[in-house]
Amino acid sequence: MLEMQNIGKKYDQKVVLENIDLEIKTGEIVSLLGPSGSGKTTLLNIILGLTQMDQGKIIFNGKDMSTVPMKKRGFNIVFQDYALFPHLNAYENIIYGLKNKKELVTKKELQEYIDFLGLNPHLNKKIGELSGGQKQRVALARTLVTKPEVLLLDEPLSALDGVIKESIKERIKSIAKEFDLTTIIVTHDPEEALTLSDKILIINQGNISQFGTPFEIINRPSNEFVKNFILKQLEIKRQNIYNLFSEKYA
Amino acid sequence: MLKVKLEIRAIYTIIVCLFAIFLILPLVVLFIRSFETSQGFTISNYLSILTNNDLMVSIWNSIKISSLTAVITTILAFLLSYTINFTRVTRPLKGAIQIGILIPMLLPTITYGFAIMYSFGNQGLLTKLFGRSFFEIYGFNGLLIGYCLYTLPPAFLLINNSFKYIDKKFIIVSKLMGDRTLRSFMNTIIRPLWGTLGGAFVLSFILSFTDFGIPASIGGSYSVVATQLYQVMLGSIPDFNNGAAIAVFMLIPAVFAVFLLQYLEKFNFHYDKLSEVELLQNRARDVVLGILSSSVLLSIFAIFAIMFVAPLVNSYPYDLTFTFKHFTDVFQSSDLVNVYKNSVIVALLTALFGTLTAFCAALLNVRTPIKGKEALDIFSMITNTVPGMVLGISYLLLFNNSSLKGTFAIIVLCTIIHYFTTPYLMAKNSLSKMNLSWEMTGELLGDSWFKTIRRVVIPNSFSTVLEMFSYYFMNAMVTISGIIFLVTATTSVVASKIKELQHFAKFNKVFVLSILIFFTNLFVKLLCDYFQKRRLKHN
Repeated sequence: MLEMQNIGKKYDQKVVLENIDLEIKTGEIVSLLGPSGSGKTTLLNIILGLTQMDQGKIIFNGKDMSTVPMKKRGFNIVFQDYALFPHLNAYENIIYGLKNKKELVTKKELQEYIDFLGLNPHLNKKIGELSGGQKQRVALARTLVTKPEVLLLDEPLSALDGVIKESIKERIKSIAKEFDLTTIIVTHDPEEALTLSDKILIINQGNISQFGTPFEIINRPSNEFVKNFILKQLEIKRQNIYNLFSEKYA
Repeated sequence: MLKVKLEIRAIYTIIVCLFAIFLILPLVVLFIRSFETSQGFTISNYLSILTNNDLMVSIWNSIKISSLTAVITTILAFLLSYTINFTRVTRPLKGAIQIGILIPMLLPTITYGFAIMYSFGNQGLLTKLFGRSFFEIYGFNGLLIGYCLYTLPPAFLLINNSFKYIDKKFIIVSKLMGDRTLRSFMNTIIRPLWGTLGGAFVLSFILSFTDFGIPASIGGSYSVVATQLYQVMLGSIPDFNNGAAIAVFMLIPAVFAVFLLQYLEKFNFHYDKLSEVELLQNRARDVVLGILSSSVLLSIFAIFAIMFVAPLVNSYPYDLTFTFKHFTDVFQSSDLVNVYKNSVIVALLTALFGTLTAFCAALLNVRTPIKGKEALDIFSMITNTVPGMVLGISYLLLFNNSSLKGTFAIIVLCTIIHYFTTPYLMAKNSLSKMNLSWEMTGELLGDSWFKTIRRVVIPNSFSTVLEMFSYYFMNAMVTISGIIFLVTATTSVVASKIKELQHFAKFNKVFVLSILIFFTNLFVKLLCDYFQKRRLKHN
């Protein structure tokens, strides 16, 4: 279980985050949803250990992680642009971290990860030869083989196009299930957040606007912000799609 | 962003100290000395410059000839780049231009003068070929040819590079919009290149203004500021304080140029996306530019050809029997062989430590959050401003009584600092294009900072590192203006030895040594190119 207690952060007197209280159960997928500048990426960086918080605590499985440095927390991240090393091929990227810690996974386990992400046919490809979805999976594999306790994903779908997006969504869900891996995703897209995660943390101007399951958010929006900015978008989308289909089938 | 680690701080401290001691401090001393006289600190050194008619004439001469050089060079470099990028001239010719134009860069400027003498002089190769002499080469004409040869390659590289960022699609659009040729040309080519053309002009001006090798060999009685400065410092009655004042004077146009360059930067613009568009057919354009470019290229070949012929005959131009005697003479002279060895050692050390310094500085500036990284950009701006001769003189003034005097170390350090800007910018450019999350990713995957740099950043900037290395190596082999005040009998390098040989009119030895430099540089260049290509294939 990952607990955040009263986390706050200021940059030059400007409050970026305050009163963040939250519990995430092991194996849950949680999305951090909010507009640009809402503080969601800052929160992600605080969990990762990259950014220092000004107040509050992060407790993971009963252990206070607040002052544990990034490297020792055992969390890991996949960046939005993947940050794959272009001079190494797909396989060499995947095993990059294993060169530092050889005992981390056995050969068999490594193969399982590769099979699971469907990367067998692409192992010898250069990074430039991979498609967006393939790069995403290589980056996921590179992170997963280090066996993180918590997986952080920064806008994992934003660089992908339509069909691939849906398949990566499924992939992320099955990873969390298969490895019982707590997964935290940053996104600005309500549809993405609500269809991908078990729970959504809606952040607005540094504060928690609502934290709940997709069902709760759709049916019991707790304030105007959630209604106006989150639900409105989805309703417009729904309307557009209805219009499209009713036209077609009219 | 990455945390500032101890090792990052340590490297930063070392680099800042290096520049403080070997760039800032010498310049400060130079400045102070320029006010020093036997009557204490006054401005009398400056007054004596302003009232010294010879000196004022030489400064005026320098400005005149450098401006003219800059105009000619910029136009020629533009023509050559245009031919390569925007015409359908046959591919082999384009290749030949791109390689041939670089020939002068492989030689010390002092050699240019002798090549010009042997080509255009009364007994010169070209004079004989055409049966008459063209003009008086000693003085203005010779200098002009020399400066143009010297500044054409860098101006060409600059403009040619900018041409690559011009979107050819806009030419099509302009044509479709009904632009006439001139308007189309101004809008789609000159306008995007305006900043670069200005940059090429300023660069050519400064290079000519501060070069010592060319006027030293072919200046004749046409005095320029570089030779005047040398006279005052190392002539029959050396006057260091007065020399310091002249050096400060020499800095003025350079400082001015740097501000001009920054202003011109505003005119540069980049298209978001480049599209490959086929060039329109235009036979007349191709023929005219093909001929013009070939003539420029042939002129360069023609001038330097003599250098390879003269030392292979008995006594040019009187006895043209083939002989290896001049080569064997050089190789049997332990003095000259040593000088060559010195040059190679200095060039290797400069390339090695220079690349290391420039790479680390760029790494700190682009990829770490360390405080005060702006200082590194400022150092690079200063090294870009300070002419080699000025840097050399300030070293002479500061280190004359130290144990650094007369060592290879001081020559290497001077050259590293003198040529710092270009490799630094190369590294910055390449490092900033790489994904900034790599160090973080590496750290999360268990690397230390050094380890990520070694495992990821360096392999991905390998070809830039090679380019930096060959840049430093070649310049260290040919530079003379920076080191002429620093070499001693035991640390003499080829370029400075040529100056000495000139005194005794040993032109064959000059050419043999120049050929040695030429082929050494060529070898290093080809080697670096080979490794770069292999790397590209590998990736």
